[in-house]
Amino acid sequence: MNRTVVRTEDLWKVYPQEPKPVEAVRGVSLEIQAGEFVAMAGPSGSGKTTVLNLLGGLTRPTRGRIWIGEDEITALSDRELARLRLESIGFVFQAFNLLPVLTALENAEFTLLLRGVPAEERHRRVRELFALIGLDGLEDRKPGKLSGGQQQRVAVARAVIGEPALVLADEPTANLDTATGAALLEVMERLNHENGVTFLFSTHDPRVMERAHRLIHLVDGSVESDVAQGVRGGVGHDR
Amino acid sequence: MTDSSIWWRIAWRNLWRNRRRTAITASALAFGFFVSVFMIGVADGIVDSMVEDGTRIVTGQIQVHDPGYRPERSLHSTLGGRDGVDVSAFLDRIGEVGGVTGAAPRVYGGGLLSSGEETVAAGFMGVDPLLEPGVSGILAAVTEGRAPRPGAREVAIGSEMARKLGVGAGAELVLVVPAADGSMGNDLYTVSGVFRTGLPGLDAFQAVVPIDVFQDLLALEPNRIHEIGIDLRSASAARDVATEMEVVLSSLGVEVAVEPWTVFRRELYEYVSMASAANSIIVFIVFAMAIFGVANTMLMATYERRREFAVVRALGGTPGSVARTVVFEGIVLGVVSLIAGALITAPVMMWVHAHPIDLSGFTDEIRAAGSVMRPLIQVAYSVKGPLISSVALLLTSLFAALYPAFRAVRVPPADALAGR
Ligand SMILES: Nc1ncnc2c1ncn2[C@@H]1O[C@H](COP(=O)(O)OP(=O)(O)O)[C@@H](O)[C@H]1O
Ligand SMILES: [Mg+2]
Repeated sequence: MNRTVVRTEDLWKVYPQEPKPVEAVRGVSLEIQAGEFVAMAGPSGSGKTTVLNLLGGLTRPTRGRIWIGEDEITALSDRELARLRLESIGFVFQAFNLLPVLTALENAEFTLLLRGVPAEERHRRVRELFALIGLDGLEDRKPGKLSGGQQQRVAVARAVIGEPALVLADEPTANLDTATGAALLEVMERLNHENGVTFLFSTHDPRVMERAHRLIHLVDGSVESDVAQGVRGGVGHDR
Repeated sequence: MTDSSIWWRIAWRNLWRNRRRTAITASALAFGFFVSVFMIGVADGIVDSMVEDGTRIVTGQIQVHDPGYRPERSLHSTLGGRDGVDVSAFLDRIGEVGGVTGAAPRVYGGGLLSSGEETVAAGFMGVDPLLEPGVSGILAAVTEGRAPRPGAREVAIGSEMARKLGVGAGAELVLVVPAADGSMGNDLYTVSGVFRTGLPGLDAFQAVVPIDVFQDLLALEPNRIHEIGIDLRSASAARDVATEMEVVLSSLGVEVAVEPWTVFRRELYEYVSMASAANSIIVFIVFAMAIFGVANTMLMATYERRREFAVVRALGGTPGSVARTVVFEGIVLGVVSLIAGALITAPVMMWVHAHPIDLSGFTDEIRAAGSVMRPLIQVAYSVKGPLISSVALLLTSLFAALYPAFRAVRVPPADALAGR
């Protein structure tokens, strides 16, 4: 299964700012294959969020090119980018960011709703997934009635329910305590292992980095190292 | 989308996230609806009573003349010309037309009335004392004495004329009119009563006499009349009824002019049209004020939800789907406000309709456009008022949502997610 899900070429992002423009991302070139479980590590301000936003088409690069699968996304319109995200990319955020008026089930099925999947199928898929990640029985709860760990699991469910080519998770465990964070990571690993979901997640927590099958170190917007970590039969990739 | 109901449910839930704010906004819209419906009801009430009063006091709501009668009002221009018409056949035909509640023949002439010391110019109206009350209120306006009797040389005069002549009921007056045969008709008449309509022109110059003795005085045969005055169930139907009546009367083989009050009381009609135009201005002002308040609260709500819009965009929602959540919320707000508005408006309208608010303690009768307004606030029911107001309310909430929707679409997802 050597299928490239994302590839970048000399990616730059410069924020025009006084007195001096901020070079948040400086010449990042990377490639991720289907089924990988990749961590992007780096201190705060190293450009992790910006890279993830660039890959997800939420931010446009100053220079460089991005391919998601076969498609080069740098030239796409906002509408086309929205379509691409809907079909190919899942997002998980540090702050959970569930929609507060929706129940856990409605949050998880949201992208299916946007795609126009019939209710019956939506519900079946969410229930199956909830059972797999330990959320069964919580379908009708609003986010306010869920713990942080549960909310983030719903967020992961929301990201993977549409079977995207790539899930981008920006410090998904940063708002969780150690045990809950570890449990969440386990859920992500299981989805990677059993459902073949490709994950790229950022973190600055060493315990989280350890669990990745591949670790990219970002420093001042550049890739400092990119190494495969031989754990659990992961799909190694060396540069 | 396969099921749009979920988007409405989301709009509904979003609407109630800030109950207080939504309650205030919805109340403002509901109150605007009430003001709009009530004021249109009052304006329509005024217009209705102006038209009723303006046409019921003397003219009637449809008039039938010889085509040459207006505008000169020549004594010779009688219905059917020199030969006249079979008046009762005419009245019968007219009575068959739908919406007609009364019809009465009239003869007009101008001349002098003299009490000995005083002489005044007068417009004389010969009426059938039995039929006229079914058309106009002139005989019912007699406050002193009584109406003239058929076949009697009696006259009812206006209160102002009575004052000028210095006479009251029972006095004798000399009546002088130029007759149709070129002679001067004159005779002695008894004042049977004095009427007071409140309209200065009538009270100062009008005199009412029985049609038969007046025709005799004018040297007109009994089948020669100047006008048939007609009363309708509803003044607003006058134009349609007149059109139908024209067709019916043409079968009698006499050429006639059938005119609704909108023609022969042109100034009243123009006033009424102006008042209807004022209705739209009321609605416009009420909701123009509301739209800014609604847009402002919706803008606040969308600003608070910037991050959620960013999340929707990140998940693959199009700008359009973000705009839709805001617009749907505006529409739901409109519907909620409309229901609330209807619930407060209906009972108030029903109550005021049943119990007109009497202002006679504060003001006298109000005169405008040749009509008398009673100092009463009464509301007329109409489909139009609530309909216009409902449409205006829904459009208001829809338009109020457009700018916030536009702003929501413009939220840059990456910045909003970072809390920037
Ligand atoms: N919209 C922006 N405008 C200006 N500077 C920004 C913006 N977004 C990020 N930055 C800057 O770019 C750098 C990298 O930020 P970020 O990608 O958020 O890093 P990380 O996620 O690793 O903490 C930081 O110095 C940050 O201040
Ligand atoms: Mg970050």
